[in-house]
Amino acid sequence: HADVIRKFWQHYLPRLKYHNPAIPMTVDRTQTQSGPATLTIFFTQPTNPSDPTTPLPAPTSSTSGDTAPSASYVPTERTVSINMKHRTDAEILTQFMEATKATVVEATPEELEEMRELEEQGARSQRDSARSMEVNKQRKREADMLAQARGDIAAQAA
Amino acid sequence: MASAKTCISYLRNSPISLSFRPQSRLPLPIFLPNQQYRCAGGQTSANAAKYKRKDQGTQQKKKKARTTFIQYDLRDAEQFSLCDAMRYIRAFEVGRAPTSSKYELHLKLRTLKNGAVVRNRLRLPHPVKTDLRICVICPSDSKSAAAARAAGATIVGEDTVFDAVKDGRIEFDRCICHIDSLQKLQKAGLGRVLGPRGLMPSAKLGTVVKDVGATVKDMVGGSEYRERLGVVRMAIGQLGFTPEEMQRNIRAFVDGVKKDIAQLSDRIAKGIHEVVLSSTNGPGFSLNGEFRGPESVSTKELSTL
Repeated sequence: HADVIRKFWQHYLPRLKYHNPAIPMTVDRTQTQSGPATLTIFFTQPTNPSDPTTPLPAPTSSTSGDTAPSASYVPTERTVSINMKHRTDAEILTQFMEATKATVVEATPEELEEMRELEEQGARSQRDSARSMEVNKQRKREADMLAQARGDIAAQAA
Repeated sequence: MASAKTCISYLRNSPISLSFRPQSRLPLPIFLPNQQYRCAGGQTSANAAKYKRKDQGTQQKKKKARTTFIQYDLRDAEQFSLCDAMRYIRAFEVGRAPTSSKYELHLKLRTLKNGAVVRNRLRLPHPVKTDLRICVICPSDSKSAAAARAAGATIVGEDTVFDAVKDGRIEFDRCICHIDSLQKLQKAGLGRVLGPRGLMPSAKLGTVVKDVGATVKDMVGGSEYRERLGVVRMAIGQLGFTPEEMQRNIRAFVDGVKKDIAQLSDRIAKGIHEVVLSSTNGPGFSLNGEFRGPESVSTKELSTL
């Protein structure tokens, strides 16, 4: 479904992109929802088996159109496709991680602290907003009663 | 007396015990208006007299308006180097076309609220919006036509252009005219078609020129910026730009704004307070002025799509 795929795009793909900035990730959208929905992973062959960590030459180094495609680019041969229809985004992610043999990046203690603090802040702000809503409701109720009372008096005096 | 003690403690801890909330609103016997509570003859009760304000607090309620915009301390802000900010922004914009999402730069200025504003045009080293279609009216086989084509004009010609415009096929956004072709242009009577669209070349607007090539080059790349509410915002790159291209653009922009500020009169105290990089779909990142930090990713990895 389009919703699940959109959630994958918005939740998981940014994290993948942040931790793998060199890997190109593109999204093609179609007008109708009825067609197939596939996630395709293109693999390149490591030319230098003794040094697999150097990034291979990409098709272009600058996508602003200034440079021509680099000559040492080798098109990919191996692809893996994952069907995304009728799967939850967590399932898509696990399949993706299996296919690419991805390593999970654990949150550092500082980041865990930050996340915990943000959650606490959110809970606190919810409590505060409930409390202030109560106060405002009370104030509004009394203002309405006063206005109604003044209206009654004016009707009686007339 | 254990039972009495437990009774009392139960009362004290029961949820229906009265709590002393400060009563800031009118005590309401609501069906009588306020006037009937003042005592006859203007005499106030002893209690009221005790709490009556002796100072003139109610007359000094006018708050002073600020003359400058609020400035937050930058030491509290979390700042990023250019490469770090670009890495985050690219993650937020993942999947978008590299020419559709744009980076934007916001320069927050230290300035008076009602002072002079900064407003100018600038040519970025790597232009952001390059699809402006320009039509040039000059003889097709002259030197100026060749120069115009080299500079990037979409349509160049004379009679062909007149015919196309008369047919109604106006496929350009701006139109300029060579001085020698002005007579022909006015005779052709295109004012009816181009006039209402604001496309008719005229000497007043500066669209009738001698050096066509330079004018076309000027028009294609220029981007305009102005200061609104103390902030100067401008599009500074597309998503596909490399960090080096962005660095050149940012430097050109900031230098341009600094020059404009210096050109204002000496009395005006304006300065750049903060620089924030953002994008169409991403949050803003305050920049600390460095190109890359000690742990930043290499620029090669930030250059691919």
